[in-house]
Amino acid sequence: MSRAEELVLWLRKELGGNLISAEATAPGRIFVDLKREALVTAAAGLMNRGARYQVGVGYDARKSGPGFALVHTFAFDKDSLLVAIRTFAPGDDPEFDSLTPFIPGAGWSEREYQDLLGLKFRNNPNSKRLVLSDDWPTGIYPLRQEVPHDLMPPAAEEVAFRLEEAPPGTSIVPFGPFHASLHEPAHFSVYVDGEDIKGCEYRGFMTHRGIEKLAQTELTYNDIPFVAERICGICGSVHSVNYAQAVEAAAGIRISRRAEFIRMVALELERLHSHLLWIGVAGHLIGFDTVFMQAWRIREKIMWLAERLTGNRKTYGMVIIGGVRRDINQDRSQDIRVVLREVEREMLSLEKAILKDRTIHKRTRGVGYLSPEEAVKWNLVGPVARARGLSIDARRDHPYAAYDEVEFEVPVADSCDVWGTLVVRLKEVYQAIRIINQCLDKLERLPRNEPLSVDLEGPIPPGRQGLSLVEAPRGEAVHYVLTGEDNRPGRWRVRAPTYPNLQAVPAMLLNNKLADFPIIVGSIDPCISCTDRVLVVERSSGQARLLSRQELESISRQKRSGK
Amino acid sequence: MTVLKKLAGRAFRRSVWVYHCNSGACNGCDIEILNILTPYYDVERFGIRLVGSPRQADAILLSGAVTRPTLPLVKKAYQAVPAPKLVFAIGSCAIGGGCWYDTYNVTGGGEKAIPVHYFVPGCPPRPEAIIYGVALALGLVEKKVAPVELKQMEFPVDMYRQARLFEVNNVIYKLLGEEDDRLDSGRK
Repeated sequence: MSRAEELVLWLRKELGGNLISAEATAPGRIFVDLKREALVTAAAGLMNRGARYQVGVGYDARKSGPGFALVHTFAFDKDSLLVAIRTFAPGDDPEFDSLTPFIPGAGWSEREYQDLLGLKFRNNPNSKRLVLSDDWPTGIYPLRQEVPHDLMPPAAEEVAFRLEEAPPGTSIVPFGPFHASLHEPAHFSVYVDGEDIKGCEYRGFMTHRGIEKLAQTELTYNDIPFVAERICGICGSVHSVNYAQAVEAAAGIRISRRAEFIRMVALELERLHSHLLWIGVAGHLIGFDTVFMQAWRIREKIMWLAERLTGNRKTYGMVIIGGVRRDINQDRSQDIRVVLREVEREMLSLEKAILKDRTIHKRTRGVGYLSPEEAVKWNLVGPVARARGLSIDARRDHPYAAYDEVEFEVPVADSCDVWGTLVVRLKEVYQAIRIINQCLDKLERLPRNEPLSVDLEGPIPPGRQGLSLVEAPRGEAVHYVLTGEDNRPGRWRVRAPTYPNLQAVPAMLLNNKLADFPIIVGSIDPCISCTDRVLVVERSSGQARLLSRQELESISRQKRSGK
Repeated sequence: MTVLKKLAGRAFRRSVWVYHCNSGACNGCDIEILNILTPYYDVERFGIRLVGSPRQADAILLSGAVTRPTLPLVKKAYQAVPAPKLVFAIGSCAIGGGCWYDTYNVTGGGEKAIPVHYFVPGCPPRPEAIIYGVALALGLVEKKVAPVELKQMEFPVDMYRQARLFEVNNVIYKLLGEEDDRLDSGRK
């Protein structure tokens, strides 16, 4: 019996009459509908059986369905299985049980819908109302169907952040919203005792542009890949490929193998330039500008290559539903091979310089330590998790496109600090080069007449769910699509990899020196624009409070022991 | 524009230090702005340098649509730059708000928050375009395109009336009968 069948059987036995339906629509995906009383039982059961929490998705189904819906998705990495459990609440009583008490990583998702949909969560440890922006009026929930996408309540000038007071014995050092070490607006209020960081409060979500609302009201299926690309300026194709995969999964479209390999080349080129970018920025953040200049010099070749392949340096415009728009022909693939050979040669010398440099060792080893247990607790993904000994990679665990046909390794480090993330990223550069070369080999062997994109057989039926994962340079990105009427999705939810990783940053900062703050925040390669596409303001997230509790405990312990 | 150019030439004779202000961009423009510092582009040869504080800066490079939470922050950053100052809007979002110009959390382009002097279009603009935009403002290069003046033609109402009268009075059109009605309704 496969793991999926076993899980469905277990759900039926455990939940009995509370289970409405459980179906495996595609291999590796189970979509479950529950009564809302059984949400906590089901989620806790899944977590006990080794699941990793991914994301919560709330949407307004009052017109077509029984009210507000809430979907939580879980991943079983060893079994290549994703489980989405959906519950409904009537429109006049939108209350759900909170998962945050036993899954801290669910905190942001729940507060998101408290804010944007007006859902309520019972037993949420941080039930403080999450405000959209400081001057957003109460009682207007932008993701509800009756609210137009361009509603703009009048702004109130001079609204200050309402940050919490510093715990006793510490003082606040503010970082941001505009700070030289943060390239995007985000505010960290760091509590310091002397030079040591004793806690931190994060207030970000300032680059929210309402993309999901726009997709649900204004755009059509084939417009969205181009907007999805603009969620993030670095991992653009990650989002467009991910969205297209989610729609294709929901509608049951199979794309040609040529298109799959071309998508993979685009994704891996992005990983290459993103990792080189990060290596450069990390060097810049610890004051080692030579690394910055050298890494970006190598990276520039890849940008030029991308321009030759797709016509643009960043926003490739390659992906549509059902395939891709441009081919990679023989000449182009020769171009790619030449550039990759150069990049690999230059990377080897850069790697040698980085790994043998004492300055970098001193600035990164032991900095931003987070134990593997904590990493599991906060559902870390990507190189940040792999630097903490967790071997998770969506390309290997949940193969998409044609990743199951290429050979690559998943580098893992066990130093649990910033050094580990540096090593993992350096090694991943070579793996990306290896994957692209294999893709080109396979592309050359494919028949030339294979179509780049398949034609859709009629409109996409409404009410179907699709769930897709893509391993972005920063970690696993999750897209959830519910197909809808009028040739556009009813709900499209993007979870960027920075979303879980950023929640754990205060835990990484604890007891480090203030001077290491930029490199610790930088070590997760924060992509705040990806994370913020739906949220606006997050004040005093649960984990910041949790930390201040821990911190108070440690202070009191120190006092007791007479230090 | 020539007045502005003269002023800029007079006010920024020496090296120009720029402050990069991200008001809600997707990272694309920010990375291209960082990219102009790297060996292939190397703007420091023109004396252009990125600085971390608006108080040291002569110019602001604004990237991204101005979102609701960053609107007051952008204004503050602008006020912190000592006069005389220049503002460059980098990329489509900073110019007019981009593809999300009217959503509930985007107030629009950079001009909604602060006065913008130069626009560098692109999504994201190439590093060459950003360098060219700044160099143009400083008078280091000439504008590549000649200014094109567009004039709105006045609609010749009299001629239109005369032609209509001719049509109506002309016997041939009357003979056409139904055809004439169809022509009329089509014109309306």
